[in-house]
Amino acid sequence: MSDNFRSILFAMGTALICSLLLTAASSGLKPYQQENIDVDRKKNILKAIGLVEDSRSYTFDDIKSMYAANITCMQVDSQGQAMQKGDTGGGGLPVYLYTQNGTVAAYVLPINSRGLWGRIHGYLALESDGSTVSGFTVYQHSETPGLGGEIEKNWFQKNFKGKRIIDQSGGFVSVGIAKPAVTVSMTAVEKANYVDGISGATLTGRFLSAGLKEILSEYEPVSIRFRSKGMLTVPQDRQTCEDGQ
Amino acid sequence: MRLTQSRYFKAFSEPLIQNNPISMQMLGICSALAVTVQLKTAIVMGLSLTFVLAFSNLTISSMRHVIPRNIRMIVELSVIASLVIIADQVLRAFFYDISKQLSVFVGLIITNCIVMGRAETFALGNPPGLSFLDGLGNGAGYGSVLISVALIREVLGAGKFLGIGIIPESLYRAGYENMGFMQLAPAAFIIIGLLVWLQKSLVKN
Repeated sequence: MSDNFRSILFAMGTALICSLLLTAASSGLKPYQQENIDVDRKKNILKAIGLVEDSRSYTFDDIKSMYAANITCMQVDSQGQAMQKGDTGGGGLPVYLYTQNGTVAAYVLPINSRGLWGRIHGYLALESDGSTVSGFTVYQHSETPGLGGEIEKNWFQKNFKGKRIIDQSGGFVSVGIAKPAVTVSMTAVEKANYVDGISGATLTGRFLSAGLKEILSEYEPVSIRFRSKGMLTVPQDRQTCEDGQ
Repeated sequence: MRLTQSRYFKAFSEPLIQNNPISMQMLGICSALAVTVQLKTAIVMGLSLTFVLAFSNLTISSMRHVIPRNIRMIVELSVIASLVIIADQVLRAFFYDISKQLSVFVGLIITNCIVMGRAETFALGNPPGLSFLDGLGNGAGYGSVLISVALIREVLGAGKFLGIGIIPESLYRAGYENMGFMQLAPAAFIIIGLLVWLQKSLVKN
């Protein structure tokens, strides 16, 4: 048996054993990882509306019961109308509603935006006036740690609270990430629509701004309903989201 | 022969202080800067690296007579990479928060020079038992530096020990402030530098 042939055989054997091990590890741990991801998503929805604080730690059951008590999810169609149960018109957009004493206090939009290295997943919560941001969170991204990766940090996210997605005359403008900090380059009017950027992460900011604008304009019909007070209760007969909430 | 003079004991104990991978060989500095802001992440990182190092040494050492020389690095890397991915998957399943904080750095254990270095210089020439102990020792040596740096950075930078505040409220009221600098990467450079200095002067005598 020639040396080269032996090397190739050995390499193939190693690759086979390694891949079997990795497959076993990945599929065996999948249910645990999935639960972690689920709970983390719920935690981020709760964090976006300000129910979960960063400084405290929560058990899985805390998060699950808090989520069940406060959040309902429904699908809306492209006109911002709540879809009814069994409605399969397609194109349903999920909206998470935060209810307090029977009225909707805030609504949360799932964010799935382009980033520099991959998709950025998170949540943007808006107050029931349909124009004020009440929070922004990121639960999954592949930005560079220390630069674009700072989008997952509190100092960046807390700046979103209180920003507006409309201008003074009520027209839609979205909320964007400024470059550099808002204090340097903006007039007082513009400041309401921008948060501080991250130095060293210009592209992450640019992509995330564009992504937020795209998603907010897609959901604008819903926001308009909120602005005209047309959506203050959770519809009884609603199309639920995939996660069954 | 006394226990402390057996070669098994030496394989484990030498990398702890005398031949510490970070402070004497200057390997694995990158991750030591990145994951030492908090004690918790440093401990988990130290444990993950110890796991990978011990088992990669064990596996490579037990195969050392059959690995064809011309592809030995490829074989070493596939063993190391598989172990790193397993460690990462386990962290994701059971320590999700910490694994999010460690982000890419668990995956980057693959490129940590300590792992490849021990495989090449030790595991290829020594029996499995010794290599396993050498891996444990090097992992513990790496972990101990990480933990010392993280301890200093967390206590001085955030006033916390394992996430629990330890600086009394009265001290803050008296004007004490956390050193924000300790939270930044340059602080780790300075602390590691001081540790190296301290250690070299101790070992010499």
